[in-house]
Amino acid sequence: MARTSAFLLLSALLSVFAPVDALWPQPRDITTGSSALKLSGGFDITIAGSVHNAPLDLHQAVERANAQLRSDKLERLVVGRGDADKGALSKAKTLSKLTLSLEKGATAHTITSEAQKPIEARDEAYVLDVPADGSGATLTANSTLGLFRGLVTFGQLWYQSGSTTYSIEAPIHIKDSPAYPYRGYMLDTARNYFPVSDIKRAIDAMSWVKINQFHWHIVDSQSFPLEVPGFLELSQKGAYASSMVYTAKDVQDVVSYAGARGIDVLVEIDTPGHTSVISKSHPEHIACAEATPWATFANEPPAGQLRLTSNETTQFTADLLVAVSKLFPSTMFSTGGDEINANCYDQDPETQKALNATGQTFLQALDSFTQVSHAALKKAGKTPVVWEEMVLSFNVTLAPETITLVWISSADVQAVAQKGFKLIHAASDYFYLDCGGGGWVGANPDGNSWCDPFKTWQKSYSFDPVANLTADQAKLVLGGQHLLWTEQSSPSNLDPISWPRAASSAELFWTGPGQNISTVLPRLHDLSFRLQQRGIHTIPLQPLWCALRPGACDLTA
Amino acid sequence: MVYSVLCAVIAILTVSMPSSHALWPMPKSLSTGSTPLKLTASQFKITTEFAETHGHSTNTPADLTQAIQRTTAHLQNDKMERLVVGGGAADKSAISSKQVKTINELSMSLVKGAVVRSIAEEAVLPLEQRNEAYELQVPADGSSATLTANTTLGLLRGLTTFEQLWYFVDGEVYTLEAPVEIADRPSYVYRGFMLDTARNFFPVSDIKRTLDAMSMAKLNTFHWHATDSQSFPLQVPGFTEVSAKGAYSASMVFTPDDVQDIVTYAGERGIDVLVEIDTPGHTMIIHESHPEHVACAQASPWSNFANEPPAGQLRLASPATANFTASLLHAAAHLFPSPFFSTGGDELNANCYDQDAETQQILNSTGQTLEQALSGFVGATHTALRSVGKTPVVWEEMVLDHDIELENDTVVMVWISSQNAAAVAEKNFRLVHGPSDYFYLDCGAGEWLGVDPTGNSWCDPFKTWSKSYTFDPMANISDANAHLVLGGEQLLWTEQSSPSNLDSIVWPRAASSAEIFWTGATLPDGSPRNVGTALPRLHDLRYRMVQRGIQAIALQPHFCAIRPEECDVNA
Repeated sequence: MARTSAFLLLSALLSVFAPVDALWPQPRDITTGSSALKLSGGFDITIAGSVHNAPLDLHQAVERANAQLRSDKLERLVVGRGDADKGALSKAKTLSKLTLSLEKGATAHTITSEAQKPIEARDEAYVLDVPADGSGATLTANSTLGLFRGLVTFGQLWYQSGSTTYSIEAPIHIKDSPAYPYRGYMLDTARNYFPVSDIKRAIDAMSWVKINQFHWHIVDSQSFPLEVPGFLELSQKGAYASSMVYTAKDVQDVVSYAGARGIDVLVEIDTPGHTSVISKSHPEHIACAEATPWATFANEPPAGQLRLTSNETTQFTADLLVAVSKLFPSTMFSTGGDEINANCYDQDPETQKALNATGQTFLQALDSFTQVSHAALKKAGKTPVVWEEMVLSFNVTLAPETITLVWISSADVQAVAQKGFKLIHAASDYFYLDCGGGGWVGANPDGNSWCDPFKTWQKSYSFDPVANLTADQAKLVLGGQHLLWTEQSSPSNLDPISWPRAASSAELFWTGPGQNISTVLPRLHDLSFRLQQRGIHTIPLQPLWCALRPGACDLTA
Repeated sequence: MVYSVLCAVIAILTVSMPSSHALWPMPKSLSTGSTPLKLTASQFKITTEFAETHGHSTNTPADLTQAIQRTTAHLQNDKMERLVVGGGAADKSAISSKQVKTINELSMSLVKGAVVRSIAEEAVLPLEQRNEAYELQVPADGSSATLTANTTLGLLRGLTTFEQLWYFVDGEVYTLEAPVEIADRPSYVYRGFMLDTARNFFPVSDIKRTLDAMSMAKLNTFHWHATDSQSFPLQVPGFTEVSAKGAYSASMVFTPDDVQDIVTYAGERGIDVLVEIDTPGHTMIIHESHPEHVACAQASPWSNFANEPPAGQLRLASPATANFTASLLHAAAHLFPSPFFSTGGDELNANCYDQDAETQQILNSTGQTLEQALSGFVGATHTALRSVGKTPVVWEEMVLDHDIELENDTVVMVWISSQNAAAVAEKNFRLVHGPSDYFYLDCGAGEWLGVDPTGNSWCDPFKTWSKSYTFDPMANISDANAHLVLGGEQLLWTEQSSPSNLDSIVWPRAASSAEIFWTGATLPDGSPRNVGTALPRLHDLRYRMVQRGIQAIALQPHFCAIRPEECDVNA
């Protein structure tokens, strides 16, 4: 009889305790128990003495993690919230310590330097153990970057009830590493401007979902906010205002803020298209600048492209890119290359004259132009990154290590892989955060978003990174990212249009595809509410009623 | 020679001066000049002079005094640069001349014989008695501007217009378009915005910020969809168990003090608060405190019982439930001074009642049909509301899908489709336009139900400001029925909204209908209102909102905002 009641009690408890709803991205290997465990009031995270010369950015990461454990105050997303767990906590053991250590023989470099290594050389793996008996938790890794990823995971384990910070799933054992080395988020700061503080907040959010690459589409035809040493006239004439610029100091600020959070900054100076604004300071370098009707010269206003047949323009561009590249420690640099409009060059007498004089075709000229800028970047130690048209539409001669961003359609991935290029998934049909916001060009009331419909988190999540690829081609997939083009975005909506949706690809490329989608939503709710506790204005994915009742608002529930 | 040079200078000035980009909604009658005029914000005075009439008070009502203080503060704090290439710097030379006059005063008065009431009192009068008209003159010579109206509500509208005339550069507040003469009044009496505070909760501070934005666009009705199946945040005296069990948490409630706070704040800004307690559908949450009153509560699969989870509807055939509902609405009505109260009535699910044993038992025993029971239920609630002076407002299904008795003065909200407005008018009901195909702010954000990765928003696509702006309130409405169209509103259902995106999903889009229903079909020069000339003005309103702390979305790249028409589709 007693035995039966104990069984009943146990099964009742088990049914009350939900599985871990907290972790995002889901670790690749995790086991959890069902014991309650509290953090002691004096809980502390320490770096083991065996870690010699622990770098400053690791100490700072530990301080932030310690502070978040106290400030998150996230109540569990169940009916009754924190109160629901009060009973379970009365006899919980107390955890007072997490100790960080590096694997034997590993050297403690800065998180920043680990994050800025070439993609495939980064080591983000970690092992986290949280015993149920109150003995110290341990986090070990081969690199400070791995320790940082583990700290982020540790920070997601805890909930708040009253003044108690706790887990109900001890013991916890996690052995984790990313499925793909590139997990990014792209922001366009040229269509509309974003102050450094907004970029830093985006970087915070990125780091909390283990995104490791900030792809900064920093300039475009509409504005040139980047102050480039030696090319100051570009931003003086091309920024929206003297206050809407990124000085070299701002860039340094963003790069080091990102680095300390395990994020590399991949800057993009899009060329030869998307450059109209350069005509404000260098009219000699731009064909069809602000030509009308814009629709015959560009995909969006204003038209204007670098005169790629001009030697002066080619040299200017290469010099500019090299000067920019010196501001960014990343091993990669994007030269863009999307949406080149042939008619712009057809209608430009200077370009035609140059083509006639040399006997080159437009494609040959584009090939030379690109080779010059890529050679200059290579000399500066950078691996070029390009948009897919460079490979698929223009057949430009590219170094084999060149990385291709697939954006037009997920259906183009296979063709890029067939050409043997490493690639990053950024397909508009899955990962464009701006789709579905309606048409934005004026006098067009029936216009819709060109990439309608809106890409929900679940649409993005259903993406298969290796669809239609052979096993060998699959090795070319470095990862992927969500992207925000900002024709209709500004600091006003940066958070809600990006989060938590951009976390969808973060899990896809960390954990790998194939998760059970019905268990994903509760965890994404959890992440979203935690991000809110940390000041990110994430959009609600559902009514709170649904967030508290996993599965109740599923399509067929 | 001197004369011709002067002429040339004037001609250049005239050409370089833009047409008024600032005003939203566009006044009914507007004439502007091309003379620069400055205003010293720190010294500018707004004065009132109310003639004594029939022994009524001539004191300035407190809420008008506060409105004046807000205008004064806006003149100082907006710091709104003109949206042109170069920003405010482009105007520096025009306003630096010694010839540029400075205006020191705006003098406000009511027309002779007008009774002085507070703005809040004027804002909640029956629709046909509301008077928002005003006349505003801003001379170019530096003499006092004048604002006159029949009511303090009209003066408030005029102050709102006055604020929009001014730009800022380097400490100078100025217009380039003096003299300005405006005679203005709304085309439609109802210009609203609806917020759902039940799918997700919105603190009072967010609602107040929304009321601020609404008043900037001269909206006059806050349609507050306060409760729904997901939560019941409204604390109703005598029925506190409903929110105690039905609010998302003890902190996510609107107490009577909160409601009073919101109603007062709205009234001071010329906004009536039309509350909605949706019945008999959209009421699952009442089940938490009163299971006896709710049929098919959380029944599954939910899609057999409701349009979205969770299912649950009031047992309309039960006399006890009808009585409970009438009493609840009656109690809630006391919290709101509005002459209106919405009882909802959308998306009734018949299957819920078909499967509910108690409902079937009552129908069988009384011999009533479901429609007859619905008619009795609605009659009971509307009678209770009329007893406290409220005119009922209902969603369109009550008129178009159900055969129930409604008093002729009931106001009907059209939401399912703009196509349905004419049918409502044909039934001789007054109507408010809120069609999902033009005015739903939540459309286009994708599926929110779980485990549906290929699902889209049910009302795709996104309704852009310009789509909304092309709505014709009189489409398919006969001349004889035109008087039935009270106005319209844009609406935010909040399955995917919260304070995080409230501003950005609503503004400036919700200002689109504000102009439709204020300005009417034509601009002051008689030409049709159109998206081409509207966009620069809407940009202007958006940037001014951002200056005032409303996180309005960018409609276009800033490049386009400072170059009117250059980003038009055929530019």
